[in-house]
Formats: sequence, C-alpha cells, structure tokens
Amino acid sequence: MPPDELVVEGVCKRYRRATVLDRVSLSVTAGEVVALTGENGAGKSTLMRICAGLLPADAGEVRVAGAVGYCPQTPGLFELLTADEHLVMFGRGLGLGRATALRRGHDLLDEFGFPVGARVVTAEMSGGTRQKLNLAIALLGNPGLLLLDEPYQGFDRGTYVNFWDHCRAWSRQGKAVVVVTHMLAELSRADRVVELPSHPSLERP
Amino acid sequence: MRESLSRMVIMAEMHGRDLVRRHIAIALLVALPMSFYLSSVGEGRDAVGTGGVAMAFAVGGATVFSALSSSEVDHRLVLSGYRPHELLVGRLLFLCPFGIVLSGLFTALMAPISHPDNPGVLLLGVSAVAAIAVPFGIAVAAIVPRELEATLVLIGVVGIQLAVSHTSTVAKLLPFYGARLLIDTGLAGHGPILWPLIEGAMYAVALLALARVFIGPRLSIRTAARRGG
Repeated sequence: MPPDELVVEGVCKRYRRATVLDRVSLSVTAGEVVALTGENGAGKSTLMRICAGLLPADAGEVRVAGAVGYCPQTPGLFELLTADEHLVMFGRGLGLGRATALRRGHDLLDEFGFPVGARVVTAEMSGGTRQKLNLAIALLGNPGLLLLDEPYQGFDRGTYVNFWDHCRAWSRQGKAVVVVTHMLAELSRADRVVELPSHPSLERP
Repeated sequence: MRESLSRMVIMAEMHGRDLVRRHIAIALLVALPMSFYLSSVGEGRDAVGTGGVAMAFAVGGATVFSALSSSEVDHRLVLSGYRPHELLVGRLLFLCPFGIVLSGLFTALMAPISHPDNPGVLLLGVSAVAAIAVPFGIAVAAIVPRELEATLVLIGVVGIQLAVSHTSTVAKLLPFYGARLLIDTGLAGHGPILWPLIEGAMYAVALLALARVFIGPRLSIRTAARRGG
C-alpha cells in the first residue's frame, strides 16, 4: 500500500453563518490521481486552500507527507513580470539558483507547449498560457503532492487532453494529484472521484 | 542568513522590474509632488514643504499598490519557501532607494527655484518623507488590505499633515512631522537635524513592526504543508 501524501480528517469551515465544509475527510496516496468535484459553493477551492496551508480550518486536521505544489484557480502572478522572472523568483523560494530554476521551469513549460523564451509579461499572455505558467510554478519544486484547482481553464482542447496525460505521468512518478474539476467527461481518467456535498445553508437567501 | 538575504534581494529585484515597467505610474509618481510644489510656488518657500510632504502621496501610493496588488502572489511565495518578513524587506529594499532617487530629482528641481539655505538638509528632509512613506504604505496596506480604503487612509493622513500647521499637536503625532522639520531646517539653514531624523526612523520601525504583526497571520502556512509552489 503506497503511503498517504495527504490526509484530511473532519475538516470544517464556515464563512460567517454559511457552512462551506462540514466534517470533510479524504486521503490521497502516492501515485494516485483524485478528481474533486461538487457544485458551485461546495467548498472545493476552500478545501484546496486549507490543504495547501493558506487558510485555517475551523475544525479537523490536515496532514501532508512532504512538499506541496499548489496551483490556484486564479493564477497568482505579477502582471508585468515574464515567465522567466517568475521562475527565478519562485525558484529562489525553493532554494534553486537562477540557472536551475530556469532549466527546470523551461522543461516543464516545454511539456505544456508554452512558448519558452518569449519575453512576454503575464498581462499580455492569453488565459491558457498564463495557466501553463501557473501549473509550471506548482511543479517547480518537484512536490510529492499536487493540488490543482481547475488548472486547465483557458486551455485549448488538445492541451486539456494532454493535461490528463500529464496527471498520469506525475502519478507514475509517485506524486499524489488532486484535481478540482467540473469536466464530467474526463472523470474516468482519475483513479478516484470525490464529490463534495453542497450545503443547504449556502443556498438560503 | 545568506539564503534569506538572497530571497530578499530577489524580491526587491522583481518588485523593481514590475514597477519600472509601469511607465504611466512612474510619470505620475514624479508629477504628483511636482504639481503640489509648482501650484504653490508663488506663495513663497512654503511650497517646498508642501511639495516635499506631497512626496508621501507618490511613494506611499506606490507602496500601497505594490503591497495590495501582490497579495495573492505573496501567499504562493510563502508556500514556496519565502518568509513573510522577507517579502516585506524585499519590498523595502527596492521602494526606499527608489523613493530616495525620486527625492533627489525633485530636490534638484526645487533648489534653483526656491533657493534653500541648506540644499543638503532639504534633500535629507525630502528623502526622509520618501523613506517613511514606504513603511507607512506597507503598514496601511497590511492593516486595511483593500485598495480603496487603503488609498483613502493614505490621502487622509498625508492630507492632514499638509493641512495642519506644523506647530500643532496633531502635526506632531503624524508620521511625516520629523521629515517636515528637516525640510524647514533645509530652507532656513538652521534648526534641528538629529532628533527629527531619529523620530522619523523610530516611526518607520514602529510602522514596520505594526505591518509585520498584521501580515504575519495572514501569510502564515497553517498545516504541516512544506515547500511547494
């Protein structure tokens, strides 16, 4: 049995009076691809942020075995920096020198069909191109756990299909991958589908 | 220690690259204090004080924008291994020298028109306004993390500092009081230098400490999550 990369036990989260997550439990093992689904407001992004450590849970516990790569739904990028500058900046946080960050980042971007070497700032990139950079940054530190919050937004059809091939490749490398998705047609490409229930308290006027 | 310094330097570099590509914003940063100065230059030497303190609008505004526009990136940077204080110091490392260069240019413009008795101290005073405006902007952005509200606080505080007499009690409680005294000393050629500098430095340190208190919990990584991206 592969080891757990992520264990979520009884996590609760409320925003004022609205319960977003109610005793959610989940575990993801190394090499597993889990699709996280649910209606709008079911708390998928909230759960991802809690798992990444960016948001506190009101109750429950989250344990991760090692490094986490988090790809947020909206790319957190500087508008007027290029892809290379982002790679250098995030790479430094991971303890990588300029050359290593660029080499590793270019390899990742190349896999996604990103125009490596183009000196274009993120504000001038298309939504899909920005998402590829967003994804590459999440992978830059070679994390054991990937938390991908609808990372394919703006991708064209071919890149989207390839994205699931990449998920499979990452799982073969032993990574645990959690993908927030609404794309029901592709759920069969995940090892497991976890659906978060919607909460009546959110639907009240 | 060396790693930490290197992360701060990279942050300073990237903030610099991001800001210097905003050409219109840079032009406005220069034009704002200059317009305050030029619009009141006919009223005598007081225009120097008005223009000098108005530098706080420019540098403080740039700082608030820099801090608030990167709040989402800051979260990811902390997840990738940066510490909150490294992000804060990185911003300071770029914005303070940037503000001081602006102050130099601005003083060079004012000096031939207003003939200060001690241009060196005038430069010190205007630079002190810029240097305090950076921690002030960081603190405002940390305490009021929404652009409109933070901008209104900035306008309010600097506006009051400009509007009230610098001998009033209110003026003495505001962050740019010491810097304003230095500007007056530069104009008159005599007056206090050391204690306004110390007062300004203490204010800057206190503002940074306050910012750190507010930024820390917002950017801390809460689970057993470790380095990633």
